[in-house]
Amino acid sequence: MALNAQCPVCDAEISLPDDTVKDELFECEECGSELVVASVNPFEIEEAPEIEEDWGE
Amino acid sequence: MNSKVKIGLLHSLIRRDEKLLIDEINGRDDAELVMIDDREISFSLKKSQTTEADIILERCINHYRALHALQLFEDSGILCINKSTVASICGSKFETSLMLKQHNVPQPEVRIAFTEKSALEAIEDMGYPVVMKPAVGSWGRLIAKVSTREAAEAILEHKTTLGTYHHSVFYIQQYVEKNGRDIRSFVVGDECIAAVYRTSEHWITNTARGAVATNCPISDELAEISKAAAKAVGGGILAIDVFETEGGLMVNEVNYTMEFKNSIKPTGVNIPEKIVDYVVQCGRENLNG
Repeated sequence: MALNAQCPVCDAEISLPDDTVKDELFECEECGSELVVASVNPFEIEEAPEIEEDWGE
Repeated sequence: MNSKVKIGLLHSLIRRDEKLLIDEINGRDDAELVMIDDREISFSLKKSQTTEADIILERCINHYRALHALQLFEDSGILCINKSTVASICGSKFETSLMLKQHNVPQPEVRIAFTEKSALEAIEDMGYPVVMKPAVGSWGRLIAKVSTREAAEAILEHKTTLGTYHHSVFYIQQYVEKNGRDIRSFVVGDECIAAVYRTSEHWITNTARGAVATNCPISDELAEISKAAAKAVGGGILAIDVFETEGGLMVNEVNYTMEFKNSIKPTGVNIPEKIVDYVVQCGRENLNG
């Protein structure tokens, strides 16, 4: 069963598969905002944090 | 039957790469996933850190969190991949270059300087263009191709004035003409498992910056230099960025929390499976003494 919510930036309908995990990053297909799963149950999403200086590989 | 190896996935945000590793671990009979969120743990130096994991697979997005968490887990006798020493070396372009040099792994010429004046003298001596990179940094951020003295003076001043203190350790690399592509190879343990060409019209060829990945056949030379670079920084699970030059292959950088999601399809290699195979093997060897 899909997980559904609205993009916090553009209000587009977001639908993610049920194997989605907390803290998973994804992109809104409508506005391109980078989002993160804040909670799976209840399903909540929020804008991803800004890139920090020591992020990367 | 062997019991499952409990793999502690040290993480914060879950990128596509981490999701692929989670799916791989969850789909196996020989491994069990233990999620360790670096935002929720704290360490006391008065007692050993405990975890139900048999082995830790580091996948943090922040370099310094990864480095310090690995140091602290290792201090409590917990096996980590990659090792903290590998994280320390690969987290610093300077330390990486030093290790490559000590192990006779070919790399472009590098100069290190600590002041604007000495950095400018070094650049003039090397000849233009050069590439200036932050000693700590990733995804091609804040790296600059410097083609003239005027540009060098401006960038050095900006780094000194606007940057934090570690931007004043000037890491200067000879510019290598890549003809639009470089190679990223993947080393897991003793094997070079896959490689891609990263092609871009921009001189920066990170896939995080839009470069396109296509399969790169693993020649003997590529396998050899990749494994030598991995060994030079301490071994484990590593991605090697390689330049093709007229004089042969040269190592540009070595990455210790490697991103691989864009390289599975072009290579046809199940990279997360190879990673977890290795982690299970290391975990099992550790458990069996």
